[in-house]
Amino acid sequence: MLRTVKPKTARSKRALEKRAPKAVENPKKALFLRGTSCSQITQDALGDLYALRQVHAKRFQKKNAIHPFEDASSLAFFSEKNDCSLLLFGSSNKKRPHTITFARTFDYKILDMLELCLDGESFRSISQFKTQKVPVGTRPLMVFAGTAFESPVPNGFTLAKSMLIDFFRGETSDKIDVEGLRFVVVVTADEPTTAENSDDPSSKAVLRLRVYTIQTKRSGQKLPRVELEEHGPRIDFRIGRIQEPDEAMLKEAMRKAKTNEERTKKNISTDIMGDKLGRIHMGKLDLSQLQTRKMKGLKRERDVLDEAETVVEEAPKRKKKVDI
Amino acid sequence: MSTDTKPPKLPVTVSKPTPYTFDLGLLLANDPNPLSLPASTGPSLESSLYDIARDGTQSLINQLLTTLPISSTPAGVLLSLPGPVTPLPREKPVPTPKPETKWAAFARRRGIKPKTREQRRNLQLNPETGEHERKWGYKGANKAGQDEAIIEIKHNSKKELERKEGTSIRGDKRREIRENIKRNERRMRRNERHAGQRK
Repeated sequence: MLRTVKPKTARSKRALEKRAPKAVENPKKALFLRGTSCSQITQDALGDLYALRQVHAKRFQKKNAIHPFEDASSLAFFSEKNDCSLLLFGSSNKKRPHTITFARTFDYKILDMLELCLDGESFRSISQFKTQKVPVGTRPLMVFAGTAFESPVPNGFTLAKSMLIDFFRGETSDKIDVEGLRFVVVVTADEPTTAENSDDPSSKAVLRLRVYTIQTKRSGQKLPRVELEEHGPRIDFRIGRIQEPDEAMLKEAMRKAKTNEERTKKNISTDIMGDKLGRIHMGKLDLSQLQTRKMKGLKRERDVLDEAETVVEEAPKRKKKVDI
Repeated sequence: MSTDTKPPKLPVTVSKPTPYTFDLGLLLANDPNPLSLPASTGPSLESSLYDIARDGTQSLINQLLTTLPISSTPAGVLLSLPGPVTPLPREKPVPTPKPETKWAAFARRRGIKPKTREQRRNLQLNPETGEHERKWGYKGANKAGQDEAIIEIKHNSKKELERKEGTSIRGDKRREIRENIKRNERRMRRNERHAGQRK
């Protein structure tokens, strides 16, 4: 753990305020780092992802002897030191060639981790595509295709989806220029097969990450026709090891800050004319006072007479109760 | 003439058995339809992936352009995005409000407002001389009379009877101010302590 220091200068105070917890958070910064052995393919993939994540990203060049699934304390340390809550760790060894481990932190502690194994043969880097590259800091559109992502129980695919959304979402803003819709990240998941449970990673379903630039053409209608051109990188992932988030920690991480935005008031609506309509609770209607058809036999006087007789009969009973 | 023949209308709608779901705040579309991808890798796989991607992007852009309010400004045509809906974990805990100090609670109860800029100013009007003078500091009004050449001592006053050894009326005011400061600091520390306990 780093020392918690009291700022001595205004500048360091500002710096600390920037990384303090906020109700509306800063965009997550991603830290890219590599293990002691890291194949060229993994390094290229990390470099490409770094290029897509630019502005809110930091990259380490030196080797780090880290094994995330055995001891992730170094990752937590780097996260705190650099104020990055998304870490991408690339490594490659005989058992697990070309792997990128995505890790997320909450309050500088590891929240969840996901190991993705690249397919070395189908990998193509950005530079291998001869298209015009998107400017730095552009927000991508995202498309997730496949039934695997819709699983109601959390599994590798839903975790991967959550991670990738977190990775690509960039800075959320309330306004976006139409011209800024420049490229799209499409992640397709193969249908989960029956051999899902076997340990052999090559039989596992594949996540296919493709990045395309968007070209809009006039269609003769109001909406444009969308055509795509591959931008790169082209990465096929297999899901490796997973570290699920701790339940209590996840609950804390999913909490939403109270905002000043007014909640929509219930039971109030406006109709087409702009009149305000309210639906209110009336309580139970007292039907005993309802005026029904008037008849001689239903006159109230007769009712009262009957009741008076019964009251006289009941009176002594009550007295008895009091005596006891 | 060639200009009379219009180019064929390109299809802009996407129809899938299961409709897409969107999170427009994140510019995200989910395509829950089952996929049938060719088993072999190569151009056939890439073209089918391209189709999936194109359909998804087309429907996402259709959704963005049709449902969101558009405003055209000199900076460009802007889309107003709604807030993101997909739950994603925060990176840091939700900030907790600072615990209220004893003084803050008291001030709130009594409706005491913080002093205004004018009240905090180190100048006040002396009604006797009709001139502005400092409230504290050099030639401050709180030190008035402390350095007079002659100060009258009331021998039977409480102050004189309880006077400590080695002190005189000279510097009494100064001592009083010092004591006040110390007392205030002591209270401040106690207040902080209380606030820490009442979490």
